[in-house]
Amino acid sequence: MATPTLDTFQVIADPSRRRILHLLTKDSYNINSLAENFEMSRPAVSKHISILQTAGFITINEIGRERYCTLNQNGFIELRNWISYFDKFWTSKLKKLEATLNKKTKN
Amino acid sequence: MQTVIKHQWIYEQSPNEVWEYLTQSELIALWLMPNNFKAVVGHEFDFRTNPIPSLGLSGIFYCKVLEIVPLKKLTYSWKGGPSNGITTLDTIVEWTLEQQENGTILNLKHSGFKDENYSILTGMTDGWQKNIQKMLKYLNKSNNGNTNS
Repeated sequence: MATPTLDTFQVIADPSRRRILHLLTKDSYNINSLAENFEMSRPAVSKHISILQTAGFITINEIGRERYCTLNQNGFIELRNWISYFDKFWTSKLKKLEATLNKKTKN
Repeated sequence: MQTVIKHQWIYEQSPNEVWEYLTQSELIALWLMPNNFKAVVGHEFDFRTNPIPSLGLSGIFYCKVLEIVPLKKLTYSWKGGPSNGITTLDTIVEWTLEQQENGTILNLKHSGFKDENYSILTGMTDGWQKNIQKMLKYLNKSNNGNTNS
């Protein structure tokens, strides 16, 4: 099954995927042991894992026959970009307010 | 992890003038974004800009006036998401004005970047190092581990 390409926030919007990430902050899991934490089928869990991997939130390492999931920083860096975006956004807007106010004063 | 944005600017104009530019729809539009703001507590309005796909934001920010203290303080909620009905950004914008001799100090506080998305991040700050260590341990155990990770 093809893995849909989702943006960071769609990836995080799903409660099961958030739970997978929470579990991985505590320990590294193979896919079976992750699936044990969920009511849904193993293929369904696999699909979520695949989405998380595509979005850069987790890395899968094959160790022997097992596939272990660990957190990957890339996906999280994108979340941090949000704050940095609005930080710059407000700086530019406040500057623009200054220019607008000054223009008005001159008129 | 920083979860609040703060800015302070000093304007030559009086608080009265700055306040007008914070609370009159057509004046806000001159420096911020097109909007249908009204200075009424409980009023729901939106700001409209171009979509920001890299951040998963549709470009429409859904807001509600939460507090007004004339010439001193204005607070509104600031929500956004990838499309109508999905909120991924749920934040608060707070403006405070202080009169000073030759103008106005304007403080902006944009807070609330701490929803579920960010609690994952917070949990990670101490968890991250441990995970790297664990991963290295697994990789070392295995001869065919991917050392790029």
